[in-house]
Amino acid sequence: MKGKTWLFWGGLIAAAGAVLFQTSYDVQDLEEKLAGLNRKIVTEQESIQVLRAEWSYLNDPAKLEELARAHLALQPTEARQFVALDSLPMRPAQAPDAVAAPAPLPGRGVNPALPASVVPVAASAPPVSGAATMATARLPAPAQPTQTVSAARVPAPAPKLSMDKALEKTPVIVPAALPVAPTVKTAPIKPTTLIPAAAKAPPAPPVAPAAAPATSAPAPQPVPAALPPGKMAPNAPIPPLNRPTDIANRPVPPTPSAAATAAKAQQPKATDSLGMLVARLGANR
Amino acid sequence: MTLPPLGLILHRAFAALTHRSKPSATAAMEQTRYRLMVTAAVVTTVFSAIGVKLVIATLFSHGGEPRQHHALELDSTTTNRADIIDRNGNLLATSLVTQSLYADPKLISRPDEAARKLVSALPELDYKEVYGKLSGEKRFVWLKRNLTPKQQYAVHRLGIPGMSFEREERRFYPAGNLTSHIVGFTGVDNNGLAGLEQGFSKKLNEDPATPLQLSIDLRLQHVLRKELIATIQEFRAIGAAGIVFDVRTGEVMAMTSLPDFDPQDPTGLNPETLFNRATLGVYEMGSTFKIFNSALALDSGKIRVTDTFDAAHPIKIGRFTINDYHNLRRALTVAEVFQHSSNLGSVRMAQVVGIAAQRAFMAKMGFTRPTALELPESGWPLVPNPWREVNSMTISFGHGISVSPMHTVAAAASVINGGVFHPPTILRRQPGAPIPGEQVVSRQTSDMMRRMFRFVVTEGTGKSAGVKGYVVGGKTGTADKQKGRHYQKNSRMSSFLGAFPMHDPRYIVYVLIDEPQATAKTYGYATGGWVAAPAVGRIIKQIGPLLDVPTVDESAPEILSATYLNAAGSTNWAQQPPNTPTAAAPNPPKGSTVASVPAPAKTR
Repeated sequence: MKGKTWLFWGGLIAAAGAVLFQTSYDVQDLEEKLAGLNRKIVTEQESIQVLRAEWSYLNDPAKLEELARAHLALQPTEARQFVALDSLPMRPAQAPDAVAAPAPLPGRGVNPALPASVVPVAASAPPVSGAATMATARLPAPAQPTQTVSAARVPAPAPKLSMDKALEKTPVIVPAALPVAPTVKTAPIKPTTLIPAAAKAPPAPPVAPAAAPATSAPAPQPVPAALPPGKMAPNAPIPPLNRPTDIANRPVPPTPSAAATAAKAQQPKATDSLGMLVARLGANR
Repeated sequence: MTLPPLGLILHRAFAALTHRSKPSATAAMEQTRYRLMVTAAVVTTVFSAIGVKLVIATLFSHGGEPRQHHALELDSTTTNRADIIDRNGNLLATSLVTQSLYADPKLISRPDEAARKLVSALPELDYKEVYGKLSGEKRFVWLKRNLTPKQQYAVHRLGIPGMSFEREERRFYPAGNLTSHIVGFTGVDNNGLAGLEQGFSKKLNEDPATPLQLSIDLRLQHVLRKELIATIQEFRAIGAAGIVFDVRTGEVMAMTSLPDFDPQDPTGLNPETLFNRATLGVYEMGSTFKIFNSALALDSGKIRVTDTFDAAHPIKIGRFTINDYHNLRRALTVAEVFQHSSNLGSVRMAQVVGIAAQRAFMAKMGFTRPTALELPESGWPLVPNPWREVNSMTISFGHGISVSPMHTVAAAASVINGGVFHPPTILRRQPGAPIPGEQVVSRQTSDMMRRMFRFVVTEGTGKSAGVKGYVVGGKTGTADKQKGRHYQKNSRMSSFLGAFPMHDPRYIVYVLIDEPQATAKTYGYATGGWVAAPAVGRIIKQIGPLLDVPTVDESAPEILSATYLNAAGSTNWAQQPPNTPTAAAPNPPKGSTVASVPAPAKTR
């Protein structure tokens, strides 16, 4: 009897001790893991800091201007390129499809939610892919009840020549990417976008009056990104962008005049940016 | 436990020795019981104390010993000094972690070999110097501070015992020269030595997690600096200062002083470059001071804009003679005095107002003490004391009192923004926070001053600052520089204080060029209208879109009704008389035509 009691208590103590040791080692393990993680976090934060510094260094406006001048055909925006939104005339309401269009728009429920600035882009995207052939090819796909309506309307946007001309250089972005929903959504939008961009694009007749201001005094919106005539260009500038983003090309800008090369000498090349940063860091003693 | 029995035994032995009788035996029993009681009490106390401590230690101490490691805070930084960022969040100054190399010479057995190896890895070190350090008697010598990771790797590879690395921080300025005078720089131990690094050194160190956000916009800063550099080169000037200022909030949007310096290496250069002309330099401002003279005159109520003053006859006072740069030889209205920048007219206006009123007004404009700007480099104005009649006369056209460009800009902002003086700041004001301000001139005066500003650009000395669509107004200034006790004829400070859009002013652009030399293009002139005004025009043209200022048609009725003023002082634009050509009106193609933004076809 006495031996059993001893055994019981002894066993209990041994078990408690074992559990205690186990827990203690577990805790130690976790502490080590935490310390490791902390170290890693600190290292990451430090390298993030370095990257942020380098990002700011490379984004120095003077450098960007130099690069932009060397690689882009863009100029600083000027006052004449800005036009107040309310100084633009509304699109004349003549085309039947344009009149019919606003009705289905609220019914959709989707379109009103789109912000004004988004609408022209969304509206213009399908025409890009579309042209005439794409529109017809895509329309059968969505078997929606409204399909007849949109099908009736699509031929009207199809002849928008000026837009297509502008978009020729940006071939097909979408066809496969655009699912059913966008086509259904966007087809009715096209005519309804009274927003400047679309206003001059769709119908053939208004093109003439609208195109004139487009060339001479573009930019109906104060936001440069929404310039309508070049609207597609910022949207899909794939061909021009390929050239400058190619890193191998960068160190040799196309127009290295005497002054430019002199300035270039101090400019860091894109490839050795970190080296440049490092050199600056080490410059001070 | 053994104690009571031992006591008992001893007691019994003691009792046996003394041969006590029966009553003594009972007494002994009593005593024994008493001792037992005491012993039990002591034991109980001790054990219960241990028990209580056990309970506290196990149940109430939340896991026993303090933990060795704690998870890092979410927003903490690894550095000990806060970043400085511009109003859009671009980094202007940050701290990077680097390693510094030190050695313990006692642990280095062969200093010559160690030094040779080290110099081979770090070629910029000097062998003799390193050898001297390594063979010394000290226990600690710095070999090189702030190594790059590559260099650290190279030193590690050498495997020299006795050399170690210490983690240090290094201040880094991604914007470089662009904001050098604003941000300043730090010493090798990261203590601020100039600019905001010095002014906010304590705050940056105390709260490293929250960056210091400035009101500076890096893009504007770049445009301003670029145009100033172009102007300096064109006119072979020795320096320049420029400020872009928000008249509604008192925020400094951009501020440049040229020549500037590289904050990474501030000591290696000419100390001249450390001088901040925009805030620390005080200069006689010349004609730009006529802004304040006119505002004072109109605000006093004694003078209306249509009043005329004699500007034909030079004024003699003491040994001085005051004359005009171009004497028109006739009486001028207040508007014309401002338009042609007539010294004589200004003096006569100041005489009407009186010395005391002028002095009080200049004090109200902040010209008697340093500006509220947070930079440690804030110059004290040079104010005449006593303020005599001759001082009053010269101050009316901007001589005899020296203030910094920042003084001028902040005061001019209050003249055109509706009359409220906002103390200038270089820190971003929190949106929604109240903006401190003090009404210094009346609304009507401010409105008239806007028209006069506009008048100078439409028909006065500042035509070349005009930018279509932005309704620019402003005032030119040309001051002869004083060398010793005399004014120099051919060294001057040319400035232009421009503001836009004048129907509802939002920004002031100020440019000051130090000692410009006239060029053939400017027909031998190096005055504010020929040198600084074109620069201001180019700057406004570029920063207008960035600042989201809507462009307007300058001949629209609502704009004209807010900005129109003619030479006679009439603000009625509708019955505008046929243009009366004045003798001094120069031809439009004037001023600098330097193209800072060349057409794509042209190579620069």
